[in-house]
Amino acid sequence: MKNDPLQDPSPDDDSAVKSFIFLDARGKRWPRLRLYMFAAGTLFFIGAILFVQTLVLPSQLTLPPAVEQLKSRLKSLQSKKFHPRQMVTKPLWLNFAKGNKGGSGGVPPAEVRKPPAPAYKKETGSSGAFIKEIRLGFYETWDPDSFDSLKAHAESLTHLCPDWLTVEDGLGTLKISKEQPVLDLVKDQEIVLMPLLSNLGDQDQWQPEAVEGLINGPISRQNQFIARIKDELHKMDAGGVMIDWQQVDPAYRDAMTAFLHKMASALHEDAMELWLSVPTGKELAIFDLDGLAQQVDHFVAMLHDENAEDDDPGPIASREYFSGWVDTLVDGYGDPSQWIISLGSYGYDWTDGEQKAERINFQDAMSRAGSSSLATCDFSAPSYNPHFIYEDADAVHTIWFLDAVTFLNQLTLGRAHHVGGVAISRLGTEDPDIWNALEIDTRKPLGQKDRARLETITPGEAVARIGKGNLITIEDTRADGIRRISVDEKAEPGALLHENYEKFPSYLTVVHQGRGPADAVSLTFDDGPDAQWTPLILDILKERGVRATFFMVGANMEKSPDLVNRVINEGHMIGVHTYTHPNIALVSEERARLEFNATQRLLEAITGHSTVLFRPPYNADTNPHEPEEIIPIKIAQKMGYFTLTEDVDPEDWAKPGVATILERVKEGRLQGGNIVLLHDAGGDRKQTVAALPQIIDYLKARGDAILPLPGILGIPAEQIMPLVPQHQQHVTRIISGSGFRAIHQVTNFFWAFMIVATGLTILKTFVVSWLAIRSRRIGDAALLPWLASGVEYPPVSVLIAAYNEEKVIRETLLAVLHTRYPGLIEVVVVDDGSKDRTAKIVADMAQEDARIRLVRQVNRGKAVALQTGLKAIAHEIVVSLDADTQFTPETIGELVRPFADPAVGAVSGRARVGNPHTLFAQFQSLEYTCGFNLDRRAYHQLNCITVVPGAVSAHRVSAIQAAGGISTDTLAEDTDLTLSLHKCGFKIYYASQAIAWTEAPETMKTFAKQRFRWAFGTLQCLWKHRELLFNRKFMALGWFSLPSAWFFNIMLVATGSIIDALLLFSLIVSPANGILYFYFFIFLAADLLLAAVACRIEREPMRQIWLIWPMRFIYRPVLNYVVLKAIFKAFKGVWVGWGKLDRTASVTYRP
Amino acid sequence: MIATTPLSRARTLFALAAVVLLFLSLCIGCREHNNFDKKPPAENTQKAAPLTLLMPAHGAYTGAYVDFGEGEDDVTYDALTAFEQMTGKHLAVIALGNFWGEQAFPAKTLAIISGYGAVPLLFWSPWDKPYEEERGPDRFNLPDILAGKWDAYIDQWAEEARAYGKPLLVAWGIEMNGTWFPWSGYYYGGDTVIGQKDGQPLYAGPELVKKAYRYVVDRVRAKKADNILWGFHVNNYGMPQEDWNSMGRYYPGANYVDWLGLSVYGKMKQDEGWADFHEMMEEPYREICRLDPRKPVFLAEWGVGEFPPDSKAAFITKAFTEIQAEYPRVRAAVYWHERWQNANESYSNLRINSSPEALEAYKTGVADPYWIDRPQFGPQKKAP
Repeated sequence: MKNDPLQDPSPDDDSAVKSFIFLDARGKRWPRLRLYMFAAGTLFFIGAILFVQTLVLPSQLTLPPAVEQLKSRLKSLQSKKFHPRQMVTKPLWLNFAKGNKGGSGGVPPAEVRKPPAPAYKKETGSSGAFIKEIRLGFYETWDPDSFDSLKAHAESLTHLCPDWLTVEDGLGTLKISKEQPVLDLVKDQEIVLMPLLSNLGDQDQWQPEAVEGLINGPISRQNQFIARIKDELHKMDAGGVMIDWQQVDPAYRDAMTAFLHKMASALHEDAMELWLSVPTGKELAIFDLDGLAQQVDHFVAMLHDENAEDDDPGPIASREYFSGWVDTLVDGYGDPSQWIISLGSYGYDWTDGEQKAERINFQDAMSRAGSSSLATCDFSAPSYNPHFIYEDADAVHTIWFLDAVTFLNQLTLGRAHHVGGVAISRLGTEDPDIWNALEIDTRKPLGQKDRARLETITPGEAVARIGKGNLITIEDTRADGIRRISVDEKAEPGALLHENYEKFPSYLTVVHQGRGPADAVSLTFDDGPDAQWTPLILDILKERGVRATFFMVGANMEKSPDLVNRVINEGHMIGVHTYTHPNIALVSEERARLEFNATQRLLEAITGHSTVLFRPPYNADTNPHEPEEIIPIKIAQKMGYFTLTEDVDPEDWAKPGVATILERVKEGRLQGGNIVLLHDAGGDRKQTVAALPQIIDYLKARGDAILPLPGILGIPAEQIMPLVPQHQQHVTRIISGSGFRAIHQVTNFFWAFMIVATGLTILKTFVVSWLAIRSRRIGDAALLPWLASGVEYPPVSVLIAAYNEEKVIRETLLAVLHTRYPGLIEVVVVDDGSKDRTAKIVADMAQEDARIRLVRQVNRGKAVALQTGLKAIAHEIVVSLDADTQFTPETIGELVRPFADPAVGAVSGRARVGNPHTLFAQFQSLEYTCGFNLDRRAYHQLNCITVVPGAVSAHRVSAIQAAGGISTDTLAEDTDLTLSLHKCGFKIYYASQAIAWTEAPETMKTFAKQRFRWAFGTLQCLWKHRELLFNRKFMALGWFSLPSAWFFNIMLVATGSIIDALLLFSLIVSPANGILYFYFFIFLAADLLLAAVACRIEREPMRQIWLIWPMRFIYRPVLNYVVLKAIFKAFKGVWVGWGKLDRTASVTYRP
Repeated sequence: MIATTPLSRARTLFALAAVVLLFLSLCIGCREHNNFDKKPPAENTQKAAPLTLLMPAHGAYTGAYVDFGEGEDDVTYDALTAFEQMTGKHLAVIALGNFWGEQAFPAKTLAIISGYGAVPLLFWSPWDKPYEEERGPDRFNLPDILAGKWDAYIDQWAEEARAYGKPLLVAWGIEMNGTWFPWSGYYYGGDTVIGQKDGQPLYAGPELVKKAYRYVVDRVRAKKADNILWGFHVNNYGMPQEDWNSMGRYYPGANYVDWLGLSVYGKMKQDEGWADFHEMMEEPYREICRLDPRKPVFLAEWGVGEFPPDSKAAFITKAFTEIQAEYPRVRAAVYWHERWQNANESYSNLRINSSPEALEAYKTGVADPYWIDRPQFGPQKKAP
């Protein structure tokens, strides 16, 4: 039928609404579906709300009575008057006193080398009076408080003595434990470093043999040792060394003097100094101070520990002790300026019945007094050292301590003797007011301002500790304290300050409880359960009859509920270690509560027990100090949990080796720790599993009882893990239980899907790439030059369906007409009722070139337009193209060439994006290369091309007719036709040289519109031809390319973004999960690989392959959306229009 | 073809990557699995005849007292392993005090020792706190013991000893030929002659000590504590060094003694003279050997202080070599590893590591295979 091209088409025949795939003629599917979906959604919603409610509602933890008792157990005792032991013998210092004070005996020998007052780099203090005063701080490495104090008061110090050097044995083996942060700080603040060289060995045992072996040893050994010390001091940039050698046999006094002389001379050679820590007491006998005064630069008199850890309770530095020793030492030996007086600022807590006192800091003393509701503490003659007695649950404690007032009294006395300086023993335990006291001019009476400053005690950020044990609670009611100070002018020698504590300050106080018997120890395992390691650990524990405590991560419990039950059934305790193992100090409080509740609910759902135990991830040290350690404990406490810390930490998670793990357990145990931290999950726990039997054997060998936690804490198991009351929580348990089960199922499905998808993606990548490479090799070689074949060029009809194509139709037609195809061509343009000038343009061109014909119809869609066109063409071979697609001069020839094979029914050309100007167009360009064309090239090998695109294709008209013509019941008539041709047994070819430049949508909106049409059409075609799927007659098509289309083009695209989002979410939530990275890596690698192969084969630039990654996150979600929309519409069963692009005419012709 | 090179490169690239991806995908879920031995081989638990400590035909057990504190009984596993690490040799015998003032059998301590793999040697000494020498008899005086005042304690102790079950070396009333311990003959009439036997005078002190010894051993044996090997443990030289106070005077008889023990110390205090091992060992060894021709001899305590320039190392070396060469009946030697401070502020440092030289001498000496580092047990022979 031939229409006048300029005549408007008549709105003739055809029923208005045609039947189409997915049509729901009766219109009932959607309402029904909607009802189902609504019902399911409502149920899900209600379930979810209930579930979340069980998680967010505070748990019904009630503190066990035993714990309540523990909490309120600190009771005060009347502070008893302390009765000092009667001094039956003369005071010790008199043994070392030289005749009359200041008499001839005390005058230093004439040849005493008076050390020139060293010009210290910095001046201290504000008052000029004490500029030359040495201010030394003793620093202890193990104590973070020590570093805090150093940082805070570095400006007040001229010298620092850190405990860094230890002589370990008689051969002079040196142990060094310097710390870079301290070195940096000291350098920065211009503090002179005088590291301590002691003979204090492991487990705080003095090693006299180490010194004796050295001073009695051969000269070579001594020289070597001194050289080594010098070397180390140089490395630290130290000003010298401080010797602190204790318990050495006084019989070796001469050897000691000789050795120290030797060492001092050696140091002086390098302008370094030798300082000597001078003990008070009988031990002084080892040092010949007169002899040493000539060489030792400074004596540091240790004027404290009058009663020390191993002694009975008593003053640490009573007034008579202090002044007696100052008189004896400072006035008796050397020059007064040679002396530095070390002032104590710490306390001891003696527990009745225990051998060793606990060394405490000022805050601990205050907190213990305050918690015991003591009114005040005793401060009286003759000791003038504050002290008090209190009682906790089962023992009486006596505390003696030194504070800023005793410090100032001693400072006044010392300065009156014109000593060379002051040492603070030690940084970290001091009453912070000593730093104020240091700046007071002690020659004048105490000023009102200074007194007021000393009278108010502010808690600041300091942390105090009470009690012993790993069950931790925090009390944080900070308040100032008051001590009244009065001056006793008449006291001898010199004025004396009295103090009276009126109100003890309260600090942020860490309350320790549940120490347990000294020979008892308990094992704890964090982070589990883990399907691989937890059972091995449980087996070992069972075999050896050990019951432990597992701090579980909710997410892991959810993965292995059976293991959780096994742990309970085998008599172990379970505590909460949060749901996802975050640092509780760094997450919001709401998140923290959710972490606790979700884990608790899960535990209840699995075992029917709840737990009051908590251990914070990352921060479980027994001495919480930083806010990061304190915050989780406070949150846990607020929610009714008890935090169980650890004090034996072999750091097995770092896999230090089995021997090291065991060694660290030994060390921790020897230092008195009794809660061992191990890990049963979170990585390869092979070392932990191997070490565990050895740890148990070791503990048993040393006679320890490895108790279950209740045995240590003294709290019955049923109070630590109470049964969930059935009547109260039945429903809650069902809800939380099924909620967790549902999450579990979904997660499992998700993982299964991930694994399948990963596998299939890899497989497809592999097969397609292999086929494509093969095709490229064979195909290129097999194609003979066109002209040489001698085949007659068949006449060809070119068919273009156009709708509103005024911007591009002219260029398109010109490109077609420029073909180098030698045979006869005709060009038929079917105008599908365009509302613009398309028809006019074509008609005008037809006037000029007879090969063009225009056919018009009312707007009926592309399929109908093609049907119309097919009726209008004259030749057997029809080349179709879209109105926005530009052919190269070779395109038609390349498309036609395969028809030499009579079995060929259709030939697909190679569409390329002609307008890669926007990111979206570039994405599409890459997709054309890697997706469509590569697939086609591969599928061509197996004759299973699923779509010969309407944009560039050629068909045998007889084949189209055999396949039933062009159908109108799908939006993708090209796919439909291709699949129909397959059914009729025609071969489908891919002509890779038949390039057509097509115009890709440049904006997301137009792209989405186009792709929706494609997706819906593809879906329709896949559904329409579903009998081809897994059809044995069409092996390659039914088993490879069509399933691929279903899976990769529909399913994976529909879920891709969800999976990506979940993956990203999981990575954020549990960044340590290696398997997630693995999947992520696999997907990204497969993407990139395919892109690389495709670009290589298609000879396209490699650099664009990197676009494949942003594509995943920008382009794919859009595809995801349109595919979902298409599926949705398919269910809904409504008709979808052509949804045509707005043409932009942006394809620039590339000859 | 023009594209040969890029194409073949593409193939290589592709093949490589495909292999890597396939390998990785196969790795999913295939983490390493290790087979840990579920159970150690079952120990030989069959109950045979009660075991006793076998006396080596050649060689001697090495043992030590490892500074267990005031009560000589604060045994820790860690101290034992530390000592072993220092000397390089395991200990076969571990000596410790078990003083009557504690009124307890040290079951827990013995468990640590046997767990460590040594046989315990108890100095079961009847004296009271504070355990200070030269104080004379206290509430555990010999007449009271013989009067049955402490029978309940002895019986209870014996039952626990029997319950312990493993071989146990016990020396009751050690160094009774001295003056420092309250059970010494010196405090009980000493040289007072109280009768005659076989033409020899009987002295009050030794006779009472002997009587008390037999009394205690009999009571313990009555409770069937057959796992105990009783030691007759004297100081190498008597104090005073007189005939009435010689070791033979105290010997309770072959039926009451399983081994003969000697304390042999070199110089221990500043004011003493230096002596070498031979001087301290030779005569007492001959003397104690004469008490019984067959019973094994133990150096139940030996040691020496560090007093430069005299060589402690030489003393130790000599001890190790001479025992092996000249005193073949010595079946065990227990070194007294302790440092203490004397009333005059001076120290007695008997520790093997009092100087690097002493330690080296000890390590070298004890390393000789002659010194047996683990007790060997075998079935008890029925007493005749």
